[in-house]
Amino acid sequence: MKKELSLDILSSVEKPARYTGMEYGSIIKTDEETEVSIALAFPDVYEVGMSYLGFKILYHILNSQPGVAAERAYAPWVDMEAKMRQNSLFLTSLETMKVLKDFDFVGFTLQYELSYSNILNMLDLGGITMLAAERTEDDPLVIAGGPCVFNPEPLADFIDFFVVGEGEEVMVEVMNLYKNWEKAGKLGGRKGFLECVVKISGIYVPSFYKITYVEKENKNIPVGCVTGVETINSLAPAVVQKRIINDLDTIDFPTKPIVPFGEIVHDRIMLEIFRGCSRGCRFCHAGMVYRPVRERKPEVLKKLARQLVDNTGYNEISLVSLSTADYSCLEPLIHDLIKEFQEEKVSVSLPSLRIDSFSVGLAKEVQAVRKSGLTFAPEAGSQHMRDVINKGVTKEDLMNAVGAAFANGWSQVKLYFMIGLPGETDEDIVAIADMAKSVQSKYKEVTGKGGAKVTVSVSSFVPKPYTAFQWVGQNTIEEINRKQMLLKDALKIKNITYQYHDSVTSVIEGVFARGDRRLGKALYLAWQRGAKFDGWSEHFSYDRWVQAISDAGLDKDFYATRERTQEEVFPWEHIQPGVSRAFLWNEYQKSQIGALTGDCRHGDCTGCGVCQNLDAKIIDWKSSAL
Amino acid sequence: MKLRMQITKEAGIRFVSHLEYTRTIERAMRRAKLPVAYSEGFNPHMKFSLASALGVGITSQAEFLEIELAKDINLEIAIEKLSAALPMGIHVKAADLVENKAAKLMASVGGADYYVQVPCLEECREQIESFNIADSVLFQKPIPKGRGKTKEIQVKDFIQKIEWEYNNNKLELKFACKITPTGSMKATELLKILKDQFAVPLVLEQADIERTDLYALNDKGRKKVLIGK
Repeated sequence: MKKELSLDILSSVEKPARYTGMEYGSIIKTDEETEVSIALAFPDVYEVGMSYLGFKILYHILNSQPGVAAERAYAPWVDMEAKMRQNSLFLTSLETMKVLKDFDFVGFTLQYELSYSNILNMLDLGGITMLAAERTEDDPLVIAGGPCVFNPEPLADFIDFFVVGEGEEVMVEVMNLYKNWEKAGKLGGRKGFLECVVKISGIYVPSFYKITYVEKENKNIPVGCVTGVETINSLAPAVVQKRIINDLDTIDFPTKPIVPFGEIVHDRIMLEIFRGCSRGCRFCHAGMVYRPVRERKPEVLKKLARQLVDNTGYNEISLVSLSTADYSCLEPLIHDLIKEFQEEKVSVSLPSLRIDSFSVGLAKEVQAVRKSGLTFAPEAGSQHMRDVINKGVTKEDLMNAVGAAFANGWSQVKLYFMIGLPGETDEDIVAIADMAKSVQSKYKEVTGKGGAKVTVSVSSFVPKPYTAFQWVGQNTIEEINRKQMLLKDALKIKNITYQYHDSVTSVIEGVFARGDRRLGKALYLAWQRGAKFDGWSEHFSYDRWVQAISDAGLDKDFYATRERTQEEVFPWEHIQPGVSRAFLWNEYQKSQIGALTGDCRHGDCTGCGVCQNLDAKIIDWKSSAL
Repeated sequence: MKLRMQITKEAGIRFVSHLEYTRTIERAMRRAKLPVAYSEGFNPHMKFSLASALGVGITSQAEFLEIELAKDINLEIAIEKLSAALPMGIHVKAADLVENKAAKLMASVGGADYYVQVPCLEECREQIESFNIADSVLFQKPIPKGRGKTKEIQVKDFIQKIEWEYNNNKLELKFACKITPTGSMKATELLKILKDQFAVPLVLEQADIERTDLYALNDKGRKKVLIGK
């Protein structure tokens, strides 16, 4: 049943415009125009979800298909959820206020492990049967994609199928298949559809696979590890390869994105300049799963920028990618954009900087006057640790970069680090403090005066699947807390601010990052006991999670802190981003001796296997011009 | 040259805040490519003002805005372009062009009309009429950001009379509220007064409030339109 949110409910919640839609650019199709409907469901609040480029792209691609209606749904904030439950209201989309269960598809994006509880909560609020195995013909098909899809196993009980990799082409194929299947009389019901969709490359139907686990300790493989993944439906492929778009210039990019009324997290034009990153930082999940590097042509980007400015009225263009300073034609692109849009008061911004003076020069150019502070990410304090993670940056690089920043008038610098990296010693922690001090001294050296403000922001390392560190044990909470305090003592210095994250959230993130499908039970229990918005520290309860994991008969340390052997089969290996296991293992071995691996973008192939496995190639406009 | 417009804020976007509404119009101006004048400086902004901020949750047929232009425009073409660039829930109802030196629109605002539909448990002829005939109705108006502090105001200085009708457990109210340089009242405040001081059993949280007009007052206290003649 459809019930509108009433005035009294909307008046009583924070930021009610989150729930009322009608933004410029939102697309509302009539029932007559709609053959297949999909709710793009973001498991966090509106302001966060509206900032996500992936859904802007899919919203545009899907709605430009005749007969396809893509709408949006977000997690209601806790105040609204309470009102909805009190008044028996279902979660709806923003476009037509349709209840989630009445869509043909509900598609979630998996951005972050700690948003999984919100997925369950949205299914429940949307009137959808929670467990995939219990869904009937009245339920929508619940699907999911996004970065965490490379280990979707903890969600296997709740998702009908996963879409692995870049969605532009495969999502259209899925929609077309549905239209045909529906016209043919929905042959075979839900299972019939799953048996059709599984034939599309990049589709993973978890119920078609059976996982077996070690029951008795065997050599050095502990109880609970995966022994094998077996297909139990003959149509399911043994391994699901991710989908990619070989040449980004051949696909549509949204030039009429929705312009929200309220301020969202990234309230500006997001122009995606390339995908992938081949710097090869060994902790970085995105750097492995989004390979290879594929750039858009500068001419294409300039055209897109023009259309985006005209269509949105935004006054800022952010050039987004995993590592924007690595775009091969960045300098001329920025020049051209600044020149073209100067009159219209449109500025250009960079979301991240590389640690070099080239980046500082660019920052100077795009920031013009507002000197709000620059952020650099050395990631580790000692050269040894930076070599372990293959960061490929020296202290000298950082000193040159901050020196250039200070010489150009900046006096605030923020430095990002990680602690809990493999093989880290206390000296490596203290080296973070030394680096911050050196930055302060550099300011004095360059400007002749003191007073530089340095912020040291430290997160705790979480090992992720498909990285060189997928084998390593995460630090225990006690160890992280100890290191955080060690660094706090070393950083009791005037004008240095020290920020660090709660260690307990990273443990639960770590459990789910490398978890298997048995964790579905823990997730379900935690949700039943109130877990939601776990990425928001005020809603996260460590005790609730630990209890739920243990009540599911599982051990958090098995997933988080346990070091894996070379032989161990991981629960995610039948989902493939194309990076070979041998490459990752070799990277792990090299990390232990601090040996570096180069960037294949301009140098030699490093043998990760992506281009061969996916039949793709690196697209870099500078090297192709030579 | 300044462009003045009367625009709406319709039911579907009633919960958009004043700041969000302002930003939305600015972006629509940019999409429409109107030659808007910007302030000087490093962080240029449009020379733009909206008369009389509307409370969140209230719809309006009469939002007035004024914006300085950098170049002359053809009014009709400009409005056509802007209308195409506005989101659902905002429409242009009237527009004109005046010289830059013309008085600010907000300075001439003298009053607003409201139309309210609010669930009410019974017909309350006597209670509402007793408001209408009262010489004095006092109200402790909260001071903005005053941390619970209030200031006593004379309601009858702002709202003289309420027209009303009662149908299907719903009370429909129409009233005019003066806006003076020293202050005004909110429609929600009047409803609260009716409930608390005159025992009208209103369901305040379900009040559907619309600002139907905003206008200047001439010397004789008569309504005068803000745009045009």
